[in-house]
Amino acid sequence: MHISEGVLSAPVLFTGGAFAAAGTAIGLKSIDYDRIAQVGMLSSTFFVASLIHVNIGPSSVHLILNGIVGLLLGWASFPAILVALTLQSLFFQFGGITALGVNTVNMALPAILCYYLFGALIKKTQTIAIIASFAGGFLSVFFSAVLLGVSLIFTEENFWEVSMLIILSNVPVMIIEGIVTAFCIVFLKKVYPAIFLNMPKEFI
Amino acid sequence: MKQFNHKTMVTGIIYSFMLSMLLIQYAFAHKVTVFAWVEGDTVYTESKFSGGKKTKNALIEVFDSHGNKILDGRTDDNGSFSFKAPQKSEMKIVLLAGMGHRGEWTITSEDFDNETAQGSQNLSPQASTSIKPDMIKIPNAALEEKKSDPCLTSEDIQSIVETAIKKQLAPVKNKLNKFLAPDSSPSFSDILGGIGYIFGLMGIGAYFNYRKKKE
Repeated sequence: MHISEGVLSAPVLFTGGAFAAAGTAIGLKSIDYDRIAQVGMLSSTFFVASLIHVNIGPSSVHLILNGIVGLLLGWASFPAILVALTLQSLFFQFGGITALGVNTVNMALPAILCYYLFGALIKKTQTIAIIASFAGGFLSVFFSAVLLGVSLIFTEENFWEVSMLIILSNVPVMIIEGIVTAFCIVFLKKVYPAIFLNMPKEFI
Repeated sequence: MKQFNHKTMVTGIIYSFMLSMLLIQYAFAHKVTVFAWVEGDTVYTESKFSGGKKTKNALIEVFDSHGNKILDGRTDDNGSFSFKAPQKSEMKIVLLAGMGHRGEWTITSEDFDNETAQGSQNLSPQASTSIKPDMIKIPNAALEEKKSDPCLTSEDIQSIVETAIKKQLAPVKNKLNKFLAPDSSPSFSDILGGIGYIFGLMGIGAYFNYRKKKE
């Protein structure tokens, strides 16, 4: 899911960087600093999740867990994901420093989208919460795959083929993430329901 | 949290432990690497996703030191691709595995120098090594005759020793090449280090937050 160094052209990198900077600024403003521990926890979850690989299909795909980050953090996902991606590129050489902006947007934007779509629903009854969190985990990966395809639009010559391949090869990840997200949300609802009481406020 | 009983906590811990056990076998990194080495005048490349999965049917492009493309090709089912080097100078091998995955490896002219030095050494005894099978049998017999056979010249011995050493060193060289290949999976300390950084940042955020509150 990470775009490597030297793949994208400068305009795409700058656009990604600008979007990432704007998102991070909004995110930093919206963080409730009394709950910063939660941001850190989810940031490290995201950091580690990329190490879990699902070797199905032609490429090598891994978990992203941006769905659960988005559902629990809202706009704060932007700084959380930016930090985790920076460390991933430094420690694991995933992606690259120049592609950091694009990668951040690709993973944080779907997270926020899922927060707006399902954030309110996961506070409802168990059944609704399970369905909503599964959909959140599933769709955040789906949208990330779509955004990844879009970022490669100027690089790959047969854009539709590549985008379809990206989406198809990530289908197992979407399903696994849906299950993991649903599992985590249900578990959190049981042992730590307070986390849902003061969810991050919607910024816009 | 009063109603938060031990049973739920224990079940939770067991569940998350089971989940992590389940996932650990997939615990591989995510990037693509290409490694290349020289043997004679052929350049061999090996590509894989970190975690060991071979990069099949991926595009390999070779550039010279000025950035001009020399040649390209695709990796086979084992992720390997080899080509005859058109020039014995620095070249950059770029692997494009699609979906934004890219890796590169540089072959320096030194890699070629080592090889050609060996090659030229091999060249001189090449003529005599063509009759090597017989020669190898002779010294065995010669040794039994307490090394007194007069028909064994010093050049013969040299060539025999060289071929024997080359044969013995082949697996070592292979291992060395594998060892030199970039280690793609992140280590445990990398993971812990990253988490540590995140917690550190978190601590800085909390520190400034509480200092602001105090004032």
